Amino acid sequence: MIRLAFASLANRKSSAWLTILAIAVSALLLIGVERVRTQTQDNFANTISGTDLIVGARTGSTQLLLSSVFHIGALNNSMTWQSYTHIKELPGVAWNIPMALGDSFSGYPVVGTNEDFFKHFKYASEAALEFAAGRVFNADEHAVLGAEVAQRMQLNVGDEFTIAHGSGGISFSDHDAHPFQVTGILQRTGTPVDQAIYIPLAGLGLVHGELIQDDNDDSHDHEHEHADTEQQPVYTLSAVLLGLDNRALALRMQRQINTYREEPLSAIMPGLALTDLWRTLSLFEKALFTVSILVVATGLLGMLTALLASLRERRREMAVLRSIGAGPFTIFGLLVSEAFMLALAGVSIGVLMLFAVLHFGADWLLLHTGLLLRATPLTITEWSLVGAILVAAILLSFIPAWRAYRNALADGLTIRL
Amino acid sequence: MPGTCIELKQLEFQWPGATQPLLRIPELQISRGERVLLRGASGSGKSTLLSLIAGIHKAKAQQVFVLDHDLGDMSQRQRDKLRANEIGYIFQQFNLLPYLSAYQNVLLAQQFSPARRQRLNAQQSSHKQQAQNLLLQLGLTESDTERPAHQLSVGQQQRVAAARALFGSPALIIADEPTSALDADHRDNFIQILFEACRANNTTLLFVTHDASLAPHFDRAIELADINTGSGGWS
Repeated sequence: MIRLAFASLANRKSSAWLTILAIAVSALLLIGVERVRTQTQDNFANTISGTDLIVGARTGSTQLLLSSVFHIGALNNSMTWQSYTHIKELPGVAWNIPMALGDSFSGYPVVGTNEDFFKHFKYASEAALEFAAGRVFNADEHAVLGAEVAQRMQLNVGDEFTIAHGSGGISFSDHDAHPFQVTGILQRTGTPVDQAIYIPLAGLGLVHGELIQDDNDDSHDHEHEHADTEQQPVYTLSAVLLGLDNRALALRMQRQINTYREEPLSAIMPGLALTDLWRTLSLFEKALFTVSILVVATGLLGMLTALLASLRERRREMAVLRSIGAGPFTIFGLLVSEAFMLALAGVSIGVLMLFAVLHFGADWLLLHTGLLLRATPLTITEWSLVGAILVAAILLSFIPAWRAYRNALADGLTIRL
Repeated sequence: MPGTCIELKQLEFQWPGATQPLLRIPELQISRGERVLLRGASGSGKSTLLSLIAGIHKAKAQQVFVLDHDLGDMSQRQRDKLRANEIGYIFQQFNLLPYLSAYQNVLLAQQFSPARRQRLNAQQSSHKQQAQNLLLQLGLTESDTERPAHQLSVGQQQRVAAARALFGSPALIIADEPTSALDADHRDNFIQILFEACRANNTTLLFVTHDASLAPHFDRAIELADINTGSGGWS
């Protein structure tokens, strides 16, 4: 019977192919959206790991997370250097990464930090940053580039570029533009690290004119006595990433920092904040998913239309089949198997198209949209979407199949044209 | 030849919603191997009678017997099975699935019929070979048997239809105005061929037409209006 259904479909090639194409495109879209969603979520969750607390001036957790991890948006407030020195000395703090944000170079965020960043920052499943070329900065005017920055700006280790502090603030230095030398380029991580430029805090201080170099040290008044050995490179920090000796203490430490009396501070746990942020983004994700469900429905309705339209011209065929002893249920099954074949072919072609796009377009997508998608085998969710399309196709085909069944019973052997 | 192929006893049939029965036939018997012409004007209930005999529609119990089966007492499935196994049906036209070749159309006859397959298996040659032989007997050329049905002339299509009806040696062939789309020459030729094939297999032939001039070819000619006292008989 499958053979008959197949031969009959082959007889209606053009409408069959159009139906298959419609289903293929809708399957491509549905599974593509699902893949973008899950892999984006994975990439998203992979942006930071191993950090127990992020500390900044009092602000919302999403804002602090966005600026410190994604380098999106500007923080209105910053925390003072004194607070930083207080926090990093708190008992239980294993390591810290200071971050000063707010500048950019050709649209890429410039992050002032220290060498601890390269030692302690982890992404994905506790993966450490690695250098594709060069090494950590060890002078004020050195810089380390994220993979994408280096690629797009065509900078190599040893090249120089200038960071201009465009705010027009009071500058103690002679030049507004400071040349920096690239000492290292990081391996691609698929996280915002790829799109950032890392320079020493002191380097940022130079750009901002906050760092008072040794020759005019006297003109600046140090407020804290014990900092004599360590010069204060910038006035303020945007955020500090903290690693604790014992992760279980994060909650208590968070409270301790949130209630710090000298200055209003916020401490957030990156995992929770990421989940919160993702939840706000899930509205778009749901909208996207809904649209692709609607596209699938359109594709399947197209199939339904094609099958229903074909019934009229196939009454002759049905009468012939009835005359050779095919029961009405066989006619029913014929239409269901036709729909199943159309849907199966459509979904298979759709999945193949998806893999073709992922395989050949992944680099382009990453470069132009920052979407990191991989042509990995279908996940269980994706398989169940495929299954859902097939099941929906079969259920929908019950409508024309039922019509054909009724026709077969009523027409019998008379051929109505 | 002993045995009855078709037997009607006090048949009364009326469509749902009709005020009086379309068919009321006190008695009709057709023996095995007999070739019978059934004549009736259109609207006289011919098609309804054929669909009752073919088991498409269901008569009441004890009214229609085919090969000693009481069709009124059989399920839809059983009647479909009986038709697949023992009844070959030829339509006026458009008998074939246009997308299959001539011989594939003939092979369709055994698709739903284990009995026909069994009878075909008793022969030495393959099913395809037997289908092609039958088509050659009915006057198609070797190359015609491989051509898609829609490329054949109407006369050739009717022969393929006859071959499909005969394939696997069913006991009864019902031909519903099979020659009305053919011109006179082709018509006589087709009837001759059909007769020969039926004689060779001792197949009962129920040939329905509105054309009384064909009567001399047959063992017996029945006028539907003569035996039917239902409403169909008045038209």
